Amino acid sequence: MTARKTKILFLIICTLQLFYLFNFRSGFQYEIIKDPFNKNSGISYAVSPEVIESRDILNKYKTTHFNLSKKLKNDAYLYQRLLEFNYPIRINQSSKLVFFSINENISEKCEVIETGKYLKLTQC
Amino acid sequence: MTHTNFYEKIALILSFLILNNYLLLSLNFSLALIKINFIIFLFTVLAFYFKNFSENPFLKIFFLCIIFISLGTATFEWDARSIWLFHAKVMFYKDSVLLLDDSYKFTHIEYPNLAPAFASALGILLGYWNEVFPKIAFSLMFLPPLILIFSFFKDVRYLIFLSIVFFTVGKFLFNGWADGLVAIYFGISAFLMYLLFIIDLNFYRNRLIFYLLAFCFFASLTLIKNEGFALLLVLFITTFLIKLYKRELKKDILKLLFLSFSFLPIIFWKFFCYSKGIGNDYINTNILLNLLPRLEDLNNYKTISYFLFLNEKFLFTLTFFFVSFWIKFDKELFSFIFIITLMYILILFVIYLSTPYDFYWQLNSSAARVIRALCFLLAFFGLYNLRIIK
Repeated sequence: MTARKTKILFLIICTLQLFYLFNFRSGFQYEIIKDPFNKNSGISYAVSPEVIESRDILNKYKTTHFNLSKKLKNDAYLYQRLLEFNYPIRINQSSKLVFFSINENISEKCEVIETGKYLKLTQC
Repeated sequence: MTHTNFYEKIALILSFLILNNYLLLSLNFSLALIKINFIIFLFTVLAFYFKNFSENPFLKIFFLCIIFISLGTATFEWDARSIWLFHAKVMFYKDSVLLLDDSYKFTHIEYPNLAPAFASALGILLGYWNEVFPKIAFSLMFLPPLILIFSFFKDVRYLIFLSIVFFTVGKFLFNGWADGLVAIYFGISAFLMYLLFIIDLNFYRNRLIFYLLAFCFFASLTLIKNEGFALLLVLFITTFLIKLYKRELKKDILKLLFLSFSFLPIIFWKFFCYSKGIGNDYINTNILLNLLPRLEDLNNYKTISYFLFLNEKFLFTLTFFFVSFWIKFDKELFSFIFIITLMYILILFVIYLSTPYDFYWQLNSSAARVIRALCFLLAFFGLYNLRIIK
């Protein structure tokens, strides 16, 4: 009887631990679990809208490389997320396709080819 | 075949397939072979689930819950995204992380890639990539050690073991980080080392399957994260010292030598990194420049102790460990774990004192994760020590 009670006790403890992980430590979203194998599943929870927009623009121009303005390179979050989220489209320091943030002044040598909500893509 | 034997075999097959997948991807084998390897892994998991569903139902049900949580969570934390799943994505596109240029240096190109390789194989099997499902491969990698332990703990004891796993590993079971894997693989590697070399029981020493399991677990431990290498080294040095003290080294030296080949994959990986000019942030020529000025300041030791030891998981598991050995003192087991713990703490102090990053930031961002390996070790052996108490 004692063994049975201990078993039930630890079964309850394990269940509570799992519930705690699920509810407080996971970042679980019902929207994601509805379709976890969709290609775009979870992206709005994974990265910021600027990063998602950059991929949409790069896909539209079917390019294999891009570059970032100095300001975007200095923003550690955006720099890292733009690089890893857009992979296999790679950053290339000599690429003429350069992203600027929407409020940034672009140099005279560059021409804006696409303006989004957060970023603009230029040909320099 | 007894059921105990069945679980050992399943654990061996699964851990071998994880290592084999790494080998296939590293050596650029065809995608078909990588897919077949992963399908065999999935079928083996199914065999474990349906051979006798009512046996070990807790792990089976709780593990499904872990997969469910993982599938409902996006990969949003930095380490998971920018290191592990980014490496996996690079491998998914059949590129090599070693060929990434300096712009991608922030992703720690030199880190070992066993878990990312397994996640990329899942992507290859499904034929695409997203921000959610690849990380369930990390959760699947927990299965071999969790299944193996069923040979040793039954019923209530296995439930307590699972409770220890949930407590010490926590969210690392499903969030795509590698720290939980290091903790579990380290604990079980220490356990196998104990069974094969420390305890005087020929039952394990005479069975080849335990040497093969140890080899696979040891190699996996070193290939999960850099600290896995240090942890395995600690296990070997501790065993060596104990054997030397007991004057039994001669008897077991060949077996130890065989198992030391498990270091080879990580040595090859580090050699490839070195040949491509990719260094390690910690272990490099600047180590003394960072270490020496910090050595003399007592406050540094206090700060490290504060972050490592004033951690609720560490304090709780340490208390459990001491209570367990207070109830039943096994000198051999206690010495084995005590030496491992002291050596690893010493290594952690050296690593933190020589960090090239901001000292406080480094501790704040990693100490609570790194100490989990010791938390699991202490709690696991605390439980194992009580195995004969009725």
